[in-house]
Amino acid sequence: MTHLNSVFFFHQARHVDAHGPLRYNALYTFMICRCQCIRWFPPAQIQMSLWAAALFAGLLTWGVAPAWAERPSPDAAAGRAAYDQYCARCHGASGKGDGVDAKRFYPRPRDLTMGVYKIRSTASGTPPTDQDLFDIITKGLPGSNMPDWQQLDEPTRWALVDYLKSLSPAFEQTQPVPIELPQDPGLRRVDLKKGKALYEQLACAACHGAAGRANGPSAAGLVDDWNMPIRPADLSQGWSYRGGNEAKAILTRLLAGIDGAGMPSYIDTITAMEHTTLEDAWHLAYYIASLQEPAHWNMIARARWISGALPSTPDDPAWTSVESTDVRVRNVVTAVGEWANPPTVRAIRFQVVANHEAMAIRLTWDDPTQDPQADAEASSPAPDAVALVLKPAGSQGDVVTLQAWPYAEAPKLDVSYWASDLERPREMVANDFETFVARPMADRNDVGALSSAAKYEDGRWTVVVQRPLAPVEPDGAAAIDPGAFTAVAFAIWDGGNPTARAVSSWVDLVLHQATHAAE
Amino acid sequence: MERSRMWSPLLIATLIAIGCGGGKPQEASATPDAPEGRPVQVAEAPAGAQPAVGGSSAVIQGTVTLDGQAPKPATLKMSADPVCQQAHSSPVYAEDVVASAQGQLKNVFVYVKDGVSGTYPAPATPVMLDQNGCVYKPHVFGIQVNQPLEVANSDPTAHNVNAKPTANTPFNTAQPSNKAPKVKKAFAKPEVMVKFKCNIHPWMSAYAGVVAHPFFGVSGDDGSFTISGLPAGTYTVEAWHEKYGTQTQSVTVGDGESESVNFTFKAQ
Ligand SMILES: [Cu+2]
Repeated sequence: MTHLNSVFFFHQARHVDAHGPLRYNALYTFMICRCQCIRWFPPAQIQMSLWAAALFAGLLTWGVAPAWAERPSPDAAAGRAAYDQYCARCHGASGKGDGVDAKRFYPRPRDLTMGVYKIRSTASGTPPTDQDLFDIITKGLPGSNMPDWQQLDEPTRWALVDYLKSLSPAFEQTQPVPIELPQDPGLRRVDLKKGKALYEQLACAACHGAAGRANGPSAAGLVDDWNMPIRPADLSQGWSYRGGNEAKAILTRLLAGIDGAGMPSYIDTITAMEHTTLEDAWHLAYYIASLQEPAHWNMIARARWISGALPSTPDDPAWTSVESTDVRVRNVVTAVGEWANPPTVRAIRFQVVANHEAMAIRLTWDDPTQDPQADAEASSPAPDAVALVLKPAGSQGDVVTLQAWPYAEAPKLDVSYWASDLERPREMVANDFETFVARPMADRNDVGALSSAAKYEDGRWTVVVQRPLAPVEPDGAAAIDPGAFTAVAFAIWDGGNPTARAVSSWVDLVLHQATHAAE
Repeated sequence: MERSRMWSPLLIATLIAIGCGGGKPQEASATPDAPEGRPVQVAEAPAGAQPAVGGSSAVIQGTVTLDGQAPKPATLKMSADPVCQQAHSSPVYAEDVVASAQGQLKNVFVYVKDGVSGTYPAPATPVMLDQNGCVYKPHVFGIQVNQPLEVANSDPTAHNVNAKPTANTPFNTAQPSNKAPKVKKAFAKPEVMVKFKCNIHPWMSAYAGVVAHPFFGVSGDDGSFTISGLPAGTYTVEAWHEKYGTQTQSVTVGDGESESVNFTFKAQ
């Protein structure tokens, strides 16, 4: 992969993933602006104003676009031209989902010739409505690499709808059967307890897990309709719901199913149940929505600066008042560009507390399996692990992911490596990405300067690592300057999914806001 | 509510079909009770007449054989779901090729592909498909167009009934446990075959042959099949096997006669 490519995909993918409704070209500009002007403005100010603007733009564009959309008369030539220009790169020239970039992605771009669409408002097995297709193009599919296409004017998007339909005979063979949603009881009359009971009764937990963290007993064995392994959605990650995360969207997915992906339709199931009506499905939809946790995609992460002792355990109450930052992680593409397995770890959340001596970082991420298992019959001998990668000089506008590391004259990386089978984390210096991605990590040192505490519960790791601000390795990276940017990134291994290892892009961390602002 | 809306065109179509024969509406309940294999030519029956069944007594029967060594069946690995695992005390094998030591081939769907005229209303008796021990029972079955299909879950675990037809409308319906209601469906068009699968248990599969008339059968343990109640005539009979594909033969059979049609598939 070339450097340029990774920059492009970083921009496109990260922002679409995290903020589905935002226009990625606008964000591209926004990112460039941030990278260049970050040196001259206090970070908090930039962050506030830009995020507010971005959020506002997002609110404006999400969900309202189709309301006044007047459908123009079909324009086959325009549809074809737009498809070739914007869609073919991933979905392929003939729509078979085999574009030049297809192999990079999980989930894979849809084979549009099959006419099987996941995000529909129609009965299982029937095609989506035109409005469904228009909405997908307009909003994109959050959590996947399908961006929104609000940059295209509405007539072009409608022309694309017609063109997509022409790619598959499914649209002529079967008519969409729209599902009529029952009356929304509204938040006031919703009974989350009923919702939870339905969640259990309908065995949602079999795949999605009791807490919704994609760790149900059947999660690892699922296949899609083409017998490829597939993972259930992590319902706590509202940002990854492809078709939107509000109760109405959730109910629609429940009743319509997600065709091709294995998620079945529940409309007949619920209708045929005794003592349960279709209206009750709203309770379930709202309950699922309640499992979502807010994600904070901060461009700049701020630590809490204290003078006393640092929190050392995952459950220390001190963490509750510390800002948290979420970071997307992406699976490392193997040399040939094929996904080995669907990713199991999709994001990591971190919080930092620091004093003059050291920093404590609490890392939280969803991993469906604890590896190695506590019992002797471990199915996988590989541990779960995380590498906290620090670049003391700050990101300096470096927006590539760790995958593209290093570029010319790249500084050394300071890596703190925690693994579930180690007594305490280890420290190492890495000159390049492969050094710490490869297992085993031959030159990791148990220097005793690092400490950690970890717990695994309900499909989630919470790990606290403490490390000094001074370099741990004699020939290591420079000391961490509390007042300057320190770039942080993460690499995560899931022992239960050993071919899948995920890395993040860089986030700038400021340990001591006051010191930084005074500079 | 949704369901009734989806089904109503079908219901209307059925009523129209019955109406064509000029029969009274109550005949709708009388005709489907006809045992499988007994043609009920409503469309050609004169108004008010009893459904014509007389003379439809021809039989096609035969045996399906596998020529060569049957492949060793794969053992199904059910460890992904402890409920499935615990349902069996001995190994469970894949049913893609089931042949006796003598080469008698099971699970071959045999049906009259061409030569049947007249209309054969769907029986009201549903065809049952069970999920038991995380295996579909039966693995191969026949069903008439618009005949009710009822899929049961006998396992205390979740299945999803995912049918993948191409001529008919596909569906993927949740069946969360053995307490869940049966999945009730029907196929509106002939299609040989419709595959069923479960995304939770990838080893599960079943095949349905959807035919517009009742002249079909599935070969049993001894490889034999019987199609009875046919009017005299010349027919094209097709045999379908999951792994070995299809074969056709032509046969002429007279009233009260039984003709033998044997099929031999080559082991690959
Ligand atoms: Cu199953």
